[in-house]
Amino acid sequence: MKSKKIIFTLFLLLAVVQLLAPAKMIYNQEQIIKTGKAYKFLTQPLDPNDPLRGKYVRLNYQINRFKTSDTIWKKNHHAYVYLNDSIGFAKIDTVSHKKLNLPNDYVIADKYWFNQNNNTLRFNLPFGRFYMEESKAKPAEDLVRRNNREAINNTTCALVYIKEGKFVLKDVLINDESITDIIRKNSNN
Amino acid sequence: MNSNFKKELSKLIADDVISIEIAKKIDNYYNSKQEPQSNKLLSIFGVLGSLLVGLGIILVLAHNWDNFSRLIKTIFAFIPLVIGQIVVGYSLLKKKSSIWLESSGTFLFLAVGSSISLVSQIYNIPGNLGSFLLTWLMLCLPLVYLLKSKSVFILCLAFTTYYAWELGYANWNNIKTPWMYLLIITTLLPFYITQLKYKLENNLTTVFNFLLPLSLLISFGTFVKGNYQFIVITYVVFFGLLYNLGRLNFFNNIRIRKNGFILLGSLGLVVTMLILSFKGFWGERLLFQKINNHDLIVAIVILITTIVLLIFNKRESSFKWNSLFEYASSLIALTYIVGNYNNLISSTLVNLIIFILGVSTIKKGVDKMNFGILNYGMLIITLLIICRFFDTEMTFVVRGLLFILVGTGFFATNFLMIKKMKKLN
Repeated sequence: MKSKKIIFTLFLLLAVVQLLAPAKMIYNQEQIIKTGKAYKFLTQPLDPNDPLRGKYVRLNYQINRFKTSDTIWKKNHHAYVYLNDSIGFAKIDTVSHKKLNLPNDYVIADKYWFNQNNNTLRFNLPFGRFYMEESKAKPAEDLVRRNNREAINNTTCALVYIKEGKFVLKDVLINDESITDIIRKNSNN
Repeated sequence: MNSNFKKELSKLIADDVISIEIAKKIDNYYNSKQEPQSNKLLSIFGVLGSLLVGLGIILVLAHNWDNFSRLIKTIFAFIPLVIGQIVVGYSLLKKKSSIWLESSGTFLFLAVGSSISLVSQIYNIPGNLGSFLLTWLMLCLPLVYLLKSKSVFILCLAFTTYYAWELGYANWNNIKTPWMYLLIITTLLPFYITQLKYKLENNLTTVFNFLLPLSLLISFGTFVKGNYQFIVITYVVFFGLLYNLGRLNFFNNIRIRKNGFILLGSLGLVVTMLILSFKGFWGERLLFQKINNHDLIVAIVILITTIVLLIFNKRESSFKWNSLFEYASSLIALTYIVGNYNNLISSTLVNLIIFILGVSTIKKGVDKMNFGILNYGMLIITLLIICRFFDTEMTFVVRGLLFILVGTGFFATNFLMIKKMKKLN
């Protein structure tokens, strides 16, 4: 009887932790959206899928390399990408292998390759996935491709909220309109 | 009880071999020992049902219903989790049967996964698959012990292997060593050992006996990287460890075909040692400085564990030639050290070890009158001869004769054994 009580109490504790884990994830993300700064990153999406989390649009950002004076890049290093806001669009201020004492917002990107000949670091920004309803991921990719053909400049961008290195990818926009809304409208017509 | 057995009993009564009372006693004895068939079936279908429903929920949620607001989607993320927790809580509180615990545990395991995957989907949290799987496992590991659930144990084992695979093999440009895999396996071990101690004959324990070494085998490659020659040696040492684990006291009372550690260890040893038996492998001097420290530490830790196990297993028995498999990996480690100074000696030694292994296995098969072991020994010798054809300069006549000799050996040994068995019968 006593062991039954202990097991049940332990299970209750586990259940609370199981509930807290996703709740904490949600809380962190909401905090960033509320208090973080919004940046737009120019991008080109593609549609792959994840076995458990469904279809997503993979975002290839125009910001993916930087010529840096920081030449000590070791295998386990990440890239601290410091950002500037240029008329609403994100621009790189500087990139470093360690945290710098700068007032700018930053994100930690995966280092992809450092070219020693021209001191250029290639990296992948961490918010590379935008999940969409499975029937909409492919039309989204087609839409972006069409838009890029027709427009003179790439007008597809990801809207990302950033605060102290943490981020939330809130939406993907084409000409400042949500890609999900555009597809919904197109399918209704 | 088996209907054939019942028929036999009535036959024995009819022929006056046993009395009706004795037949009744036998009948009662077997009935009391047997777990009702319907319970087993219910367990299996309960777990399968939960598995399918849970996976179905994950897939339905993965559709990403973007017509709903973020709040509604977030509530959806919690519904399966809360349902799973309520059912598990109810089963624990009401002390329901193992069918309830197994099925609800399986469902809760998948519900936790669906919940965190849906949240990361709603907020586009990029976290790679590895960290997602790790969070999932950490949230579900205690269920194995709280529910004493074998199905959750299997799920944890499968997903931790997937985690190791994802970190160590899947992303070629970002390969990491899955150290947490070791921690999870260590956490699962006490449950497995309890099963071995108290439910050795259970079919599911046999399944564990195969799944655990298989998981270790799949994940082992993620811990070694670098010089290929040294990796092969490390694999030999690893298979030696598996084999010696299979020789622990726990496994004394089960048949070899139910002992995945012995089977995988022995097969792995033969295959890797055959690779080492080629002269080409030892072609260039294996200098120690080519090895990276990480690989060296892994190999040394495994080797020391193997030797400790060997001493522990052999504390009451003396050396026998037919238990050479247990020493093989340590001997190979020695030949590797020799190989740094003279590669001809080491390749010869490896060939000799494989040959002795083959012969001693044949002898063991004959002694135990076991055709499986006998032919396994023959197979080892045959494979050794086939391998030697590639790097030994022999005329076709000699090669042909050797094949004929081995073929005849196969026939002769099997024939002699059948004869011996008939004589004994």
